[in-house]
Amino acid sequence: MSEKKSELASTQQSSAIESDHTGSAVSDSTDEFIQSVRDAVHNTSDLVVKSIPPNLTLFYIDNLVDNQTLKQHVLKELLKYPFQSPQYMLSFLSIPQVKLEGETGKAVRAMMDGTVLIHVEGYTQVVLANIPTTESRALSAPEMESQVIGAQVAFNESLSTNISLIRRYIKNPNLCNENLEVGKQTKTSIAMIFIKGVASEEMVNTLRQRITDLETDSALDSSILEQMIDDNSLSIFPQMLLTERPDKLCAELLNGKLGLIVDGSSLAIVCPHTFLEFFQSQEDQNLRWQIATFVRLLRFSAVVLSVFLTPMYVAALTYHYEVIPQTLVVPLSESRALVPFPPLFEALLLEMIIELLREAGVRLPSKVGQTIGIVGGIVIGTAAVQAGITSNILIIIIALGALSSFTTPSYMMGNVIRLIRFPLILVAGLWGFYGIMLGFCCIMIELLRQSSLGSPYTAPFYPPRLIDWRDSLVRLPLPFTFKRPSNTRPEDKNKYEPEPINPENDEQKVT
Amino acid sequence: MKNSVQIGPSDTISAFLLFFIVHGAQIGVGIHGFQRIIYQDAKQDAWISVILAGLATHIIAIFMLKTLEIYGSNDLYGIHQDIFGKWIGNFFNIIYISYCSVAFFAVLRNYIEVVQTWVFPDLNTWFLTVSLLLIVMYAFTGGLRVIVGVSFFSAVLSIWLFPMLAFPMKFIEPRSLLPILDSDFSEILKGVHSMTFTVIGFEILYVIYPFVKDKEKAKKHVHLGLFVTTLIYLAVMLVTLTYFSGAQLTKTIWATLTLFGVVKFPFIERIEYFVVCFWLLIILPNLCLFIWSAFRGAKRLVKVSANKFVWLFSLIIFGVSFMFKTRPQINTFNDYYSQVAFYIVFVYPILLYVLAVAKKKFKSHKEQIE
Repeated sequence: MSEKKSELASTQQSSAIESDHTGSAVSDSTDEFIQSVRDAVHNTSDLVVKSIPPNLTLFYIDNLVDNQTLKQHVLKELLKYPFQSPQYMLSFLSIPQVKLEGETGKAVRAMMDGTVLIHVEGYTQVVLANIPTTESRALSAPEMESQVIGAQVAFNESLSTNISLIRRYIKNPNLCNENLEVGKQTKTSIAMIFIKGVASEEMVNTLRQRITDLETDSALDSSILEQMIDDNSLSIFPQMLLTERPDKLCAELLNGKLGLIVDGSSLAIVCPHTFLEFFQSQEDQNLRWQIATFVRLLRFSAVVLSVFLTPMYVAALTYHYEVIPQTLVVPLSESRALVPFPPLFEALLLEMIIELLREAGVRLPSKVGQTIGIVGGIVIGTAAVQAGITSNILIIIIALGALSSFTTPSYMMGNVIRLIRFPLILVAGLWGFYGIMLGFCCIMIELLRQSSLGSPYTAPFYPPRLIDWRDSLVRLPLPFTFKRPSNTRPEDKNKYEPEPINPENDEQKVT
Repeated sequence: MKNSVQIGPSDTISAFLLFFIVHGAQIGVGIHGFQRIIYQDAKQDAWISVILAGLATHIIAIFMLKTLEIYGSNDLYGIHQDIFGKWIGNFFNIIYISYCSVAFFAVLRNYIEVVQTWVFPDLNTWFLTVSLLLIVMYAFTGGLRVIVGVSFFSAVLSIWLFPMLAFPMKFIEPRSLLPILDSDFSEILKGVHSMTFTVIGFEILYVIYPFVKDKEKAKKHVHLGLFVTTLIYLAVMLVTLTYFSGAQLTKTIWATLTLFGVVKFPFIERIEYFVVCFWLLIILPNLCLFIWSAFRGAKRLVKVSANKFVWLFSLIIFGVSFMFKTRPQINTFNDYYSQVAFYIVFVYPILLYVLAVAKKKFKSHKEQIE
């Protein structure tokens, strides 16, 4: 249904390329058809028109079709059985995707996707033989979300490879893959993936609706698509997860979530996603529960530290000297004795330097990347203190904050954590603890106002769903987490039927 | 029943959350310094006044819930219109809306005074008012879901304050509670009366009740919320009475905050500076719930959108905030406000219940005749 709809929509919004030929039937005369195809692609130089006497003509775009297959499976066969009707060709061409088409516009559009058009003189239908080149880089280890324990494979830029990766994890006919198309100009294909009977039907419909309703020129990357289809595009908080790990996507699909894979993008979109889940890594499932719980708590406290530590320092040193214990005042004032700037300026300066280092590290080619470490560590760290423009203690605090912000598994969320520190430092410098509380309340209300695909962003804490707390800030042993998170409103609520857990019974009792 | 509130399924809240709403609406600025006022009336038996005041809230809550149950899915404003007819009902509605607005202002003004006294003596009143109003606006425009969320997080995130009572407990002198029941009963009752300013807030029930999904469970959670609030007040009162001497307490306006001055950690001390600012999170549900219930009433009287209402409301509050400048002015305002609040929260619900029952009897009687 939706495919038809989107196709219909795209035909209506036809661009200049096919506007003249949309709907026009395939001509039975070879010369006329050649002309109409040439017009449709504006005589592009990579269009190959190959005539096979007496009555066949082949059209394709150079480099989009696989030459090997073209030679062995198309040309060879055609030369073997000349004078055939298009209908008969369907059966003897030994390639998997062959079909008939009666409209020039659709045929030309298929050509852009790596299809060879075979026109037979005297017939008003062309044969479309889809033999695209499969140019993609080899699968590699995940770089943004690397893990010690777990699969070492990440998505690449090919849609079909990515889908096959998922199908290898979930060998289930209920795994649905719906093809959608986005972009008036780019016609990017998008796969919406979910497990029928697990994912909520309502959410599937909502997501499909959002994508088909998009009126956009292009969707060059999944991160762009994510910004266009999320609930609140104005918010600083991302409401859908971008992941490069197939195992993460599969785990989320099994939780009842939906996945989107965009052709040409190595990041998959997962939705609905809650704020808390952005701080959970797939590795937490692979580790034993005590360790996973410890790591999670560590990560959450790191986030709190990262956001509030520097503002607290600024507020305490600017307005509230009273709260600093006597023993701490001495080293603090000693280290700040030579600093000519107020704490607010000092903190903003150092935070900016750290951000500069990070940004430079990302942009620099990896070969010179090491220089950044030297520049950052030695020049900024030591020299700044010796020159007396910052205090030692602030450097420690800022480094701690920066380090903490990188523990967030999602890069998108890590960015947010780093950014919201700046306004907080500013209000802390202006109005002390009161300013920090204003900022904190703002963040809290902002989080409460968000939703992800219609489900609350702050779940499972608000609205409180006690059973989901088992896999939130902490991760309880797997036998306790048999429920899918209710935030995804799954059709099937249990991952499996829980059994009573008392392993002692199976073991030998001490007698 | 006519006038009943129409609510979509997405706006309803589960009864479980009533605990946080009631608790969040009750605890606000009153707890900063209620000890002195009660002590003036009931001396060392002030803690008995706290218990009695807690009991009173439970009894009033029973009356409120019974009244609401008669009407099923209707709030106070609809009940007024049903019992008194449109004109007189609307008159009562205006009174209740004004009450909510005054309550909002009382919380706001008292908090600003505390901030100015304890942390920032030279921060302007108008700046504090504007910053608080902006935060409240932001939460209010998010709808009931966000307001209840604020109440929830406010309660959960301030749990850590309670164990801080352990620090002053090192210095208490339990014998200062003796002799028990030294004050006579009328003095203790006077203390209960003085508790009004501190315990009110749970009248939000009247407005929020129709939004509760599973109403049969509402009772349990409301009473649990009231009970926990009373427990906290009692604990704070007991520690205060034993920590301070009588003469000292009569001179301490914000005894609870003074108690926090004792707290000491290796990395931070004198945490009352932080606590005063942190209290912003605790008064936020107060403010949001009061402005929201005022809005629900205003919506019955005139067609007004939430955005328009919140701007108008904030402008008025901002204007009024210039009228109160000194400590005596605020004190007088608090006294008058608690007088009125006592009648609205503690007397009126019983009256309303009687009227509602009478009206119901009268109606069913009339139907039988017909």
